[in-house]
Amino acid sequence: MATLGDLERSVMSLLWDSAESLSANDVRDRLDEDLAVTTVLTVLARLEKKNMVTRERSSRPHRYAAAASREEHTVEMLNEVLGTASDREAVLARFIGGISDSEATALRRILRSS
Amino acid sequence: MTSLALFLAVLAFLLAVPIPRLLSRARFRARSPWAAMLLWQAIALAGGLALIGAPLVYGLSPFGGSLHESVAEVLKLLRAADFTALEDLHVLPTHVFALCLAVMLGTHLLLTLLRTYVRVLGSRRRHRDLVRLLSTPLDERRGATTAPNATAVDEAHVIEAEAPLAYCLPGRTHASSVTVLSRGLLDQLSDAELAAVVAHEQTHLHQRHHLLTMAFDAWYRALPWLPTTRYGREAVLELTEMLADDGAMQHHSRDDLLRSLALSTPEMSLIDDADADGPSRPA
Repeated sequence: MATLGDLERSVMSLLWDSAESLSANDVRDRLDEDLAVTTVLTVLARLEKKNMVTRERSSRPHRYAAAASREEHTVEMLNEVLGTASDREAVLARFIGGISDSEATALRRILRSS
Repeated sequence: MTSLALFLAVLAFLLAVPIPRLLSRARFRARSPWAAMLLWQAIALAGGLALIGAPLVYGLSPFGGSLHESVAEVLKLLRAADFTALEDLHVLPTHVFALCLAVMLGTHLLLTLLRTYVRVLGSRRRHRDLVRLLSTPLDERRGATTAPNATAVDEAHVIEAEAPLAYCLPGRTHASSVTVLSRGLLDQLSDAELAAVVAHEQTHLHQRHHLLTMAFDAWYRALPWLPTTRYGREAVLELTEMLADDGAMQHHSRDDLLRSLALSTPEMSLIDDADADGPSRPA
């Protein structure tokens, strides 16, 4: 039995791949699993609460779309991580005294290639 | 009590300016990060208490001989709104000012800590949601072959990003914490190196480093103009990395760890430094 988290992932990737907004019925029809529409609606409501999904209330039934693309979310995550990253250089420097010349050369080669 | 207030003021100054400066340059921190970490916590705690304590003790001095006695006296006078009694006790405006300062400073520190906590928790929850939706567990990627001896490495989550990255996201319980690796990192590391970098992140989680960094972040946000908060925040970030390195090295070779860490920090400039100083640079 798929958990809510798994369902959220499948629904989200459906919406990301879909060019247009989808109704809960569309989502259910496109999912592999056989689900009740109410389950799909629950998942969509959870995703909306997490600001991952926007709902078009003007149409009946309501239609859902991804709030941002996969790439935009990835960038959001990376910015946050890089913004809080500490200075690895100073931390790694403490190893430098304790490694041999050949190791240091190898390390430098890795660093240069990255 | 005035001499005690003076002592606290001097102590607050020492802990706020010269001592953090000295400690941030001390070399022993690389050899025993644990000791340096404890020292920073002691400095922050004692410094904060002395900072609030100095004006508090001075402001309370006309009200009674002991802290307990004078606080009770102040509260009694406040409740009775008996402000004429202040003159009999020889309370100067400076005493009132000092008391207000102490109360405001204390409230400011507590509120900043609370605000930082709420903010960090919120952005962490958002980030965890994103990771859950955007990542795939590492074991799924490798196929189910690793199932019998599933380790922390298999529980790591992979996000589709070119930049080589590894980080951990603390959750409320240990089970809800996640270690995140980027596709770019995975492509460049061997299994042994990968295990080392995951062990590094796991050490962060096990030792609850996020609580320490959050406390020092709040301390900095509350009083950003004080040298101690700036040095303290930087030092604690650096020390948590050292502690995590040490934790990872208990089970993994130093070479694997070094390579993986060097790779997982794309914009690092260790090359230039090492070239300039030679590899025998003191650590």
